Amino acid sequence: MNRTRFFSTVSRLNRTGYSTVEPVHHLVPINKAALRPGLQELLLPKDDIRSPGYKPTNIGQDRVRDYYDAHLKSNLMLQLYIHGEETTDGNKHRSWGTDSPYKLYRKMRKPKGLSRATKDIKPIAPKNIPELTGININLYNREALEDSWLNISSRLQIAQITNVKPKRIFNKSNIVQWKCREGKPCGCKVHLTGEDMHQFLSTLTELVLPRIRTFQGISKKSGDHNGNISFGLSPEDIKFFPEIENFQELFPNLFGFHITLQTSARTDEQARLLLSSLGFPFH
Amino acid sequence: MISNTLKITVRTKATTTVNPSTQRVVNQLSALSASRKQPKLIKLSHEDLIKHNTIQNAWKSFTRKQETKRYQQLQQQYESIHNAMDTLKAISPSLYQMANKSDENNWYPLNMRVPTDYPANMPWVYNHKNQGKA
Repeated sequence: MNRTRFFSTVSRLNRTGYSTVEPVHHLVPINKAALRPGLQELLLPKDDIRSPGYKPTNIGQDRVRDYYDAHLKSNLMLQLYIHGEETTDGNKHRSWGTDSPYKLYRKMRKPKGLSRATKDIKPIAPKNIPELTGININLYNREALEDSWLNISSRLQIAQITNVKPKRIFNKSNIVQWKCREGKPCGCKVHLTGEDMHQFLSTLTELVLPRIRTFQGISKKSGDHNGNISFGLSPEDIKFFPEIENFQELFPNLFGFHITLQTSARTDEQARLLLSSLGFPFH
Repeated sequence: MISNTLKITVRTKATTTVNPSTQRVVNQLSALSASRKQPKLIKLSHEDLIKHNTIQNAWKSFTRKQETKRYQQLQQQYESIHNAMDTLKAISPSLYQMANKSDENNWYPLNMRVPTDYPANMPWVYNHKNQGKA
């Protein structure tokens, strides 16, 4: 049987149309569909008023921001200043040495003592005065593992308190005893910055924490050695948020959450000093 | 008789009885979802757009000026702290040592508040005594 192969010239002629676009071989993949003129207005930056994603900012006075800029910054600089201070090296990941080729590509050795690396501590200057950079709220909802609709309640609760739409979080591992399944939604998280952060902070320090009878202050032991301090609120404490308190029949299920106060301070001591100036008690 | 035939022939809205607790969850979900909450896109005329951009630019330059002014002031304060400590070191080493101690754990008192537009009736307690730290 003869199996010679012929290259067809007929099919090319029979095609209904052909591309007029010169083939360009991009080194970077380009999504040409996104370049069509109808989508041009979506390419506008979000701070442009013509963009569909435009959200007005600076719509009111931010008194926490003003207070920090006008009073706290210079006070903190004066208080944290130490004459003749030099940069203290942080606890870093270490190399295994260079005497053997096997050590060259080996994963870096763990830092001394602590298991986690710390950053360099630079002397205080006008540039690096500790500042509150963000507030992270993490709500792990254990009850939602059985009743998945409780995820909705927990997300709405956080959205109501913080004015920001929270992201869902999912289980990362299978633990049979706790009914954890990988990929199952189990609560929500939100990261606050700017005005929302300051609004949440003032609600917390002026309306919520003073009304919690058992609250003595944030624990002195709290902190991750890098200037981020966290604490938790129980479901009973959540009732004191004015957004929840006035609509109690709409929120029959309340859930506690963890709050992490992220600061640009390099040590926990400096972070505590900053937070005490913003109205957080410590014990 | 007519009403009976109407009942059979005319389709009315199906009445589904939803558990009130289920209805609450549905309401919660609709409060969270973005549908019908996005405001309409503002359609500005060319002139309005120019006006808007002018105001934005003016506000930006105003805030930038404020920031640089604040930073310069901080810089000056820093320099004067530095110079004062240098002088103290030369004049009195013992006082310098006392002044150069770490002051990190001296927290601010809880009575110190963020100022408000409408302060309390009694804004300042004159015979206040601070009970320990914080």
